[in-house]
Amino acid sequence: MTPDLGVSIAGVSFKNPILTASGCCGYGEELADLFPLAKLGGLVTKSITKNPRPGHPPPRTAETTGGMINAIGLANVGIDEFIAKKIPFLEKQKTTIVVNVAGSKIDEYVELCARLNDIARVDMVELNISCPNVDVGGIEFGTDPKLTEETVRRVRKVFARPIIAKLAPNVTDISKIAIAAENGGADAVSVINSVVGMAVDPESWRTRITNNKGGLTGPAIKPIALAAVDRVYNSQCKLPIIGIGGITNASDVVEFLLVGASAVQIGTALFVEPDAPLKMVEGLKRYLARKKLSSVRELIGKVRKY
Amino acid sequence: MSKIVSEEAVITRRRDLHNNYYSLTFGPIHSLSACRPGNFVHIKLPTSDIYFRRAMSVAAVYPDTNELEIIFRVFGRGTTRLATFRTGDTLDVLGPLGKGFAKPRKSDRVICVAGGIGFPPLFYLASDLVQAGFDPKKIEFFYGGRSAPDIIERSRIKKLGLNFYPVTEDGSVGRTGLVTQFVRDMIENGRKEKFVLYGCGPEGMLRATNQIGLDLSVPGELAFEAPMPCGIGVCLGCVVPLVKGGYARVCADGPVFKIGEVVL
Repeated sequence: MTPDLGVSIAGVSFKNPILTASGCCGYGEELADLFPLAKLGGLVTKSITKNPRPGHPPPRTAETTGGMINAIGLANVGIDEFIAKKIPFLEKQKTTIVVNVAGSKIDEYVELCARLNDIARVDMVELNISCPNVDVGGIEFGTDPKLTEETVRRVRKVFARPIIAKLAPNVTDISKIAIAAENGGADAVSVINSVVGMAVDPESWRTRITNNKGGLTGPAIKPIALAAVDRVYNSQCKLPIIGIGGITNASDVVEFLLVGASAVQIGTALFVEPDAPLKMVEGLKRYLARKKLSSVRELIGKVRKY
Repeated sequence: MSKIVSEEAVITRRRDLHNNYYSLTFGPIHSLSACRPGNFVHIKLPTSDIYFRRAMSVAAVYPDTNELEIIFRVFGRGTTRLATFRTGDTLDVLGPLGKGFAKPRKSDRVICVAGGIGFPPLFYLASDLVQAGFDPKKIEFFYGGRSAPDIIERSRIKKLGLNFYPVTEDGSVGRTGLVTQFVRDMIENGRKEKFVLYGCGPEGMLRATNQIGLDLSVPGELAFEAPMPCGIGVCLGCVVPLVKGGYARVCADGPVFKIGEVVL
């Protein structure tokens, strides 16, 4: 019997729990040369802002132990070009489409989501209230429970389909932010965005990226992400969780599901293995068969703790 | 079949070119027919302290045996690891990636400006042109380095039958000075020729070549390098600033850009 990989989050069906993470799959078309996007459980676009953003000057990325530090600076084409040129491609894809949005003011999140509400093919929005790499907005929304709640509440009024809040790990208690998002009317939370980090070249004494500090991603942050998912899952927040952080293979996916994630997003691993999500889907099938489980849902939250 | 594929290739030939330069030939590369001069491959290095693939420009393709050759200089952790690979070892190769050089017109006089480890894509370009029937006597191959050991594969370049001008800063081989000053002299002395410039090398050399193209109204293209997390255009980590404003991705919009296009 083929195991059932399907999951549902806030009423939206995913054929499997493997999504690509924002900022790591472009607008989808970049990856379409490598594999059929229909194989993905879902695709999360890079962050879209009101106006186009060129991003930070190079160097924007640095390799670190078990991962990378980046400060891309939310480079994107802006909402007008996104709707005109990127949506037509996404509309043809047979996978769940999540559009990630970012703003420097609450009004911008509201304006962006109001426009996306008119596009039926946008199955969900993910609010980037946690980007560490922009001067204004970004992470401060996701580190203040009041701002988080207010942002989600205002977006809720203009966007009819499910809203995901993407949470920052750079807080004392991430579950408080998750609860604030739930109070504001979010339907799910993504846990976690990148961790603030820094890299220095000991020869030149220079910081390795122009923004000096950036977002640490990759396998190095997986334990931090697992702990964050566990913390949110065991809090008063009852929203479904999408786990993110250093997921590289199918067994990483299993770990995230066990601590309470209903689905996961794959980020930095895509840079090393562009077809990593497909390998994870196949690996997950083999794992479920080996464990004699009929559905991937049987894993969610079943971690056995000491 | 997708345009870009990830393939397992076996190293069939490894050459130590001295002065920390190495050549690796590997195959089979089934996507070879899509490969053009200026393209690169992204190679995975399975080791715990190196996370990303490493971008390597293509130096040669061998369609008969489905093989591809890269030439690199040991510089950092990635190239140090790559240099440890031996004949018979397997490489995980993603490619071919990027946009290659545009072909010159038959009437053009081609000037290749190679600097140090910028040599491989220009060698591939020159070889490809000669093989396609372009008159080798209409290719001027300038190759600059600090000293004689930096000018690798001299006999291989000469075999192409083109006009070869090694240039070293210390005069240990060829002409003495900077390669770009001789390129400028040639263009200034041959005003009636329809020159087209192709350059790849260190940033200073690219800047000087770009300036020659702008000053003397000579069209051409420059191949850039940059640290590349993804190599396929999704991460936006490898950008260069454009003269018209904004940034372009070296991996997917390049690595080849027109003279005058990039801020140098």
